[in-house]
Amino acid sequence: MANSMARSFLQVAATEEVATPLRVVQIEGLVVLKIIKHCKEFSPALVTGQLLGLDVGSVLEVTNCFPFPIQEEDEEIEADGANYQLDMMRCLREVNVDNNTVGWYQSTLLGCFQTVELIETFMNYQENIRRCVCIIYDPSRSNQGALALKALKLSDSFMDLYRNNNFTGEKLREKNLSWVDIFEEIPIKVSNSALVSAFMTELEADTPVTQCDYDRLRLSSGPFLARNVEFLIECMDDLSAEQQKFQYYYRNLTRQQAQQQAWLQKRRDENKARKAAGEEPLPEEDPANPIFKPIPEPSRLESFLVTNRIANYCNQINGVSGQSFNRLYLMKALHDN
Amino acid sequence: MSSRFWTQGGSDSEEEESDYEDEVETGGAEAANETAGSRYLKGMASDSDDSDGQKRVVRSAKDKRFEEMIATVDQMKNAMKINDWVSLQESFDKINKQLEKVMRVTESVKVPSLYIKALVMLEDFLNQALSNKEAKKKMSSSNAKALNSMKQKLKKNNKQYEDLINKCRENPESEEEKDEDEETEEDEDEESEFEEDIVEGSDADEEEEEEEADDVNDKGWEKKLSKKDKLIDKQFKNPGEITWETVNKKFKEVVAARGRKGTGRFEQVEQLTFLTKVAKTPAQKLEILFSVISAQFDVNPGLSGHMPINVWKKCVQNMLIVLDILTQYHNIAVNDIIEPDENETQKPADYNGTIRVWGNLVAFVEKIDTEFFKSLQSIDPHTREYVERLRDEPMLSVLAQDVQDYLERVGEFKAAAKVALRRVELIYYKPQEVYDAMRKLVDQVGDGDEKAGEEESRGPSAFIVVPEVVPRKPTFPENSRTMMDILVSLIYKYGDERTKARAMLCDIYHHALLDEFSTARDLLLMSHLQDNVQQMDVLSQILFNRAMAQLGLCAFRVGLVAEAHSCLSELYSGGRVKELLAQGVSQSRYHEKTPEQERLERRRQMPYHMHINLELLEAVHLICAMLLEVPNMAANIHDAKRKVISKTFRRLLEVSERQTFTGPPENVRDHVMAATRALTKGDFQKAFDVINSLDVWKLLRNRESVLEMLKAQIKEEALRTYLFTYSLSYDSISLDQLTKMFDLSEAQTHSIVSKMMINEELHASWDQPTQCIVFHEIEHSRLQTLAFQLVEKLSILAESNERAIEARIGGGGLDLRRRDNQDYAAAAGKWQDNSTYTLGRQGTTRSGYAGSGRTLALGQPGGYTRDRSGQLRGASGYSGGQRNSAARGSQMDSSARMVSLNKGVR
Repeated sequence: MANSMARSFLQVAATEEVATPLRVVQIEGLVVLKIIKHCKEFSPALVTGQLLGLDVGSVLEVTNCFPFPIQEEDEEIEADGANYQLDMMRCLREVNVDNNTVGWYQSTLLGCFQTVELIETFMNYQENIRRCVCIIYDPSRSNQGALALKALKLSDSFMDLYRNNNFTGEKLREKNLSWVDIFEEIPIKVSNSALVSAFMTELEADTPVTQCDYDRLRLSSGPFLARNVEFLIECMDDLSAEQQKFQYYYRNLTRQQAQQQAWLQKRRDENKARKAAGEEPLPEEDPANPIFKPIPEPSRLESFLVTNRIANYCNQINGVSGQSFNRLYLMKALHDN
Repeated sequence: MSSRFWTQGGSDSEEEESDYEDEVETGGAEAANETAGSRYLKGMASDSDDSDGQKRVVRSAKDKRFEEMIATVDQMKNAMKINDWVSLQESFDKINKQLEKVMRVTESVKVPSLYIKALVMLEDFLNQALSNKEAKKKMSSSNAKALNSMKQKLKKNNKQYEDLINKCRENPESEEEKDEDEETEEDEDEESEFEEDIVEGSDADEEEEEEEADDVNDKGWEKKLSKKDKLIDKQFKNPGEITWETVNKKFKEVVAARGRKGTGRFEQVEQLTFLTKVAKTPAQKLEILFSVISAQFDVNPGLSGHMPINVWKKCVQNMLIVLDILTQYHNIAVNDIIEPDENETQKPADYNGTIRVWGNLVAFVEKIDTEFFKSLQSIDPHTREYVERLRDEPMLSVLAQDVQDYLERVGEFKAAAKVALRRVELIYYKPQEVYDAMRKLVDQVGDGDEKAGEEESRGPSAFIVVPEVVPRKPTFPENSRTMMDILVSLIYKYGDERTKARAMLCDIYHHALLDEFSTARDLLLMSHLQDNVQQMDVLSQILFNRAMAQLGLCAFRVGLVAEAHSCLSELYSGGRVKELLAQGVSQSRYHEKTPEQERLERRRQMPYHMHINLELLEAVHLICAMLLEVPNMAANIHDAKRKVISKTFRRLLEVSERQTFTGPPENVRDHVMAATRALTKGDFQKAFDVINSLDVWKLLRNRESVLEMLKAQIKEEALRTYLFTYSLSYDSISLDQLTKMFDLSEAQTHSIVSKMMINEELHASWDQPTQCIVFHEIEHSRLQTLAFQLVEKLSILAESNERAIEARIGGGGLDLRRRDNQDYAAAAGKWQDNSTYTLGRQGTTRSGYAGSGRTLALGQPGGYTRDRSGQLRGASGYSGGQRNSAARGSQMDSSARMVSLNKGVR
């Protein structure tokens, strides 16, 4: 009885776990600061690091993190990186810190993070830990006066597809998956211990305007926009290339179909003749024939990612120009006065 | 002996014939053998004994050689008895070697009869062995192999001595004795036999060895047969005995032999020609004449070679006689649909009712025309022969004219249209001067022809004498245009699709030739030929290309540079002009052609006199490109890749700029490149001088006016280029200065500059009181340039998206040609109102926004493609304003794709 109870409890626990989706990523203030420090110091080089923490129900708590050394394109060093990671984990465990991996963080430059590599890394992580997130920090955007921190995960349906490595148009339609459905952004909640919060309130000056707030009033948005447009242009090129690939495929396909039709027609005529002559008709399919070999359809993944990037840049441009307008109006009003 | 110098035998028939005759008379059979043998020897096996003749050898050596030979022959006999092909083969090789020695020793060119006998024996034995399949199967493998190789060798070898062998076969016992009898017969046979030889020779050249060799084997038999025929023919000489039946029987017999192995083609023609003379009724004569004509077509077996010219002429004569008969006897109808009654032709001339004879006049005319075309293709155009051949053209035109007249009379307009097309194709490429020259030629030739006709009519008179009813001289209207109009309107009325299309193309070509650009262009646009030229056959496509090329030249002559460029650029885009115009085979490095393809291509080639001068064409194309591209490049100096009008030109320019040293211009390209360099600096005088020094201008009829036009164009473009390039350096410039610099009138300069301002190509304004142009400084910020670039990219993307949708719902894309034509067609509307916009510029400005309007019109393209395109368009915020203008240009396609056209969706 107790046995069955225990089993059912386990079952319940299991089902519950599956049922609750990840809703919030709760990050310790310290971790945020550490990430910002790491990313900013190395900017514009891109850096990564490990996130450690706990998985509690629908909340993923990130309680600690450590940076990875900058990786070089070398296999040996890559192996070193893995060793470093393991050593680090061991050391942390020895000092009794949370050492449960919950994901990784990385810095980015103007939001160009949606790459195949990211997806691959994510899939790697996903294999080992059920819940994992990727925190993206963009130091250049933070210069604009916003905290550009984002927690991302891949959507489940996308992961399914990715496992089968099947990004043909048909499958995508079947799953009703479009480019927006690849990544899911999870809201981030920064939590501090009560002591820290209290200390912060203590520290808070009476005047709310501080040095860093002047950044918000900077009027020049030109360079930022220009860079964004540059990236957009790059994306357009990529997209065109993707499209060309697809067109090429389509052209081949049409040609092949025409060939198939011609062949089939010929075969039918032949069969008719054979029938007239009282012979057995030949089969209407010939798998050995090279014209019946299906042409592999190009993957749509890349174009999806490019589209994501484009959307990202567009959002940024939108946001920045919106803010700029506000500032400009403000300036105008000031001048008028 | 003259025989030694006959090495060139076979080419000049008459001379040789007479020589041959001499030989026969003086030397008798012995000599005849000798000469014949030697002739073949020299023809085939080079002139080995030429030099050998000088050797002096002791008499006994000769005997020795002969003995050796006899021994070998004995060996061969032995081998035959035991059916040992291996040793037989060895002996055969041996005897051939010995023969050489013997010939050397005896100093004669005569092949010993011993050898010939051996050959005959061998051949008989071989045939016997071959026919005995059972025995062949039983043979050992080595033996069978030897048999086969023996067969080949013998065939080759015997060909050299076939005459001797034949004689030997006829008189196996004693060939020496037959000379007296032979002589008489020989004289009669000579001609036909001789012609046979020619055929043989030419055939051998065509490397159809196998087949020919078979013929050779049968020769002996065939010749006997032919002699028998002659005897029968002699029977006919008794005029009283000839009845319709005998003639018919004989006719059937001869026709039945057609195409069989060993039927001499010339001989058959001879026999049939003879039969035409003895034909009893006009219908019968007609029927036999048809056979004569088809037999004459048969004379040349391969597809590659052409009909011998004398045969061709005879063939035309025969056709004219056919027409004479048909005109004289109205009750005879020619048809190829119904199989006529066996004895239809028996009906006499005054038979009441129609007599049906099987035949197809149109097919014959077409075949004759094709043969004429082929002969011109294969004759070297730089020889006198070619010119001579060209003089035969009136013959063809008269025939075509007569046939057409006849067909019109009997009401077969469809067929008449076909013949009319042939006539159109004979004259469409002739400018008025050439046309006049041809008319003059016809007048001259007319007299000569009559004489020839008289000569022909010598010989035994025929039973059915047909007076020359149909004219033997073509009548040409004064003006080639009139003639074209008459013919073409007939074709448009009655012709089938292909005939009409071809006639239309010829018409366009001819209009263009006469500098009637607008007429030609309207014809081209209204006929929608460009839309479906892809579906036409290759020959029509070539004609289309020719018409386009001519149209381009015409546009240039009348001063429409942009139009000329849009007509010609396509021809030059692939670098295969020669191929496209069928004026030579171009080698491509990347694509090896199969011999089959090459042969096909060779068969499509245009004869030399129809060529469009490629240098002129290239010069015109490049100059047009230069005039359009130089100011364009100057205008878009920042991103040169943005608007490319002529890729070909850009490429050439790049190549020439890469050169470290540029020498004085040599070919057309160099000239244009030199002119381009001058023009980029605004130096119009130098540019014009360089272009003026081209040789090709002498090919133009109205050279002065064209060059004048060119100069004006160069001045204008030089001014534009100068303004584009140096406007930044000026704050203002006076009109006066510009007028002086470019030697233009004030009004012209004013209009050009104003036009540039209106088109927003030049950021400037007029200052009227001082007659100055004031330039505005405009500089884009980085963000702005980037935004421009982005827009460019987006439009490209939108365009390709468009195509993707089209592919999705239409299944096919568009072809390059189609696109340009659409472009052309779309712009046509603008031409009417004398707009100053040039076609090329329109095309490029518009192409970017193509298609936006269409997506909406197409309804539900479905899927994510639409999402994306929608989003992109939203992002660019661009499409709206340009939609209407792009409605037609939307089918443009920047890549050169070769996909089938699918017209379902449009």
